[in-house]
Amino acid sequence: MNVLIDHLGDVLGALATTLVMFLIAGIGSIVIGVLVTVARVSPIPLLRWVAFAYVQFFINVPLLALLVLAIFALPDAGLIAPLEPTAIIVLAFYEAAYVAEAVRSGVNTVAVGQLEASRALGFNQMQSLRLIVVPQALRAVVQPIGNVMIALVMNTALAAAVGVVELTSEVNKINLIEAQPIAIFAGAGIIYMAIALVIGVAAGWVERRVAIVR
Amino acid sequence: MFTSTSNRWRAPLVAAVFTTVALTAAGCSSSGSTAVPGATSTAASGSSDALYKNAIVAKAADILPNSTMAAIKKRGKLIVAEALDAPLLSQQDPSNPDSVTGFDADLAKLLAIYIIGKPNVEIVPPASETREALLANGTVDVVFNTYTITTQRAAQVDFAGPYFESGLAVAVKSDNKNIKSIDDLAGKTVIVGANTPAVTAVPEKQPTAKIVSFGTDPEAVQALTQGRGDAYVQDLTLLASDAVSNKAIKVVGQPFTKEAYGIGLKHDDSDFKKFINSWLVKIQKNGTWGKVWKASLGTVVDSKIPTPPAIGSVPGS
Repeated sequence: MNVLIDHLGDVLGALATTLVMFLIAGIGSIVIGVLVTVARVSPIPLLRWVAFAYVQFFINVPLLALLVLAIFALPDAGLIAPLEPTAIIVLAFYEAAYVAEAVRSGVNTVAVGQLEASRALGFNQMQSLRLIVVPQALRAVVQPIGNVMIALVMNTALAAAVGVVELTSEVNKINLIEAQPIAIFAGAGIIYMAIALVIGVAAGWVERRVAIVR
Repeated sequence: MFTSTSNRWRAPLVAAVFTTVALTAAGCSSSGSTAVPGATSTAASGSSDALYKNAIVAKAADILPNSTMAAIKKRGKLIVAEALDAPLLSQQDPSNPDSVTGFDADLAKLLAIYIIGKPNVEIVPPASETREALLANGTVDVVFNTYTITTQRAAQVDFAGPYFESGLAVAVKSDNKNIKSIDDLAGKTVIVGANTPAVTAVPEKQPTAKIVSFGTDPEAVQALTQGRGDAYVQDLTLLASDAVSNKAIKVVGQPFTKEAYGIGLKHDDSDFKKFINSWLVKIQKNGTWGKVWKASLGTVVDSKIPTPPAIGSVPGS
């Protein structure tokens, strides 16, 4: 740990990058993921099919391949964006597929009677989804979404391979100078572990707050 | 099936043709690869050419009892940490995975011959971040991995050598007329390879330059041609080979650093270090070192064989 403390400024800067990537990609992935789930349980076959294809694509293509494609192939197609935003967008779309799967399992926990009741009260499809199904589904999947968020933090490390200077990339650089891989990477591991722990505890707290007491 | 049989032979045939072409082009033989079916040890095939046949072998008296070299000899193979994806230094032939060639790879095989009498090398591809740990826990015997000798690293591992000296140079897009050397990079975005000496050397020379690092050399070249940075700083030899194969980039100016590459060994193994240093002196004197250079790095650099660095000439070695 001493080695990392010697480079505290650099480490904190890189940690900030990691956290910013996590926050933006995390919020983005939850929004996209919920929309994908809504499409997936919607009555329109085309939407259902597109959402299914989306989830299958992002779950079955490795994140690193997506990152390399977005960073190096898109510019050849005339689309060039700075590295960090590109990585954040890819992370958001990738994790959204996992969020969508988690939320879909939540949708399955909402009893059929709820939907029948909403119809009996005169709600249209959109209203029942927005007011009855999704809120209850989300309450049921706080902990699974927390796990997806933890995976997202770990996945930000892959952005190091495509030039984003985040925590992993920075400790790599420090190790290049100091040549103490075990101390340095154990230190970085502890930082990631601490972030994961905070997310896990926060998810547990949110879950208790929003739990439906039946 | 007939077709599958013919396919099975295609890869070795192609490899053989390429090898012949490469040898003719290089004008001298060092990195031959004969596709031996069922070769037992990785990278140990391709040992049929003259360089390996005439390679020197250590005298029995040099292999001290209970030493590291004695253990390697008894085991019958040298375990080396070397890259599989470094062009000209240590690259695996995609059509023939048993053949790993280049400056580092050939020297590793010659060292195996010197200790064991046969080019039996087992390759453990290291990440730059794990080299010290691989040596410390005994996973590998030696590291041949463009391992720059530094005093910080010398506190963790021992370095034999230096066995090669190179330097960092600057590459830009071919149509760039403003950047002529490292001095023109102030405030510019500079692409470097992750875990290369450039990561620290560029900020030392140009503190205002913005550094972007990429995992592999092809990615960095791609990023340069796509305009993600103004320049790419990397080892001169590697840049020269990139510029030969890719007309979109060019090397400008002279190298601005001196990198002395050493052979990484377990810390405090002075017998082994002395043993390897004496081997380095021998292959430098009998011209083997020059031949290996000529067949690998020498193929892209338009100059005569450089003078090998003096053993122990840098701090940390």
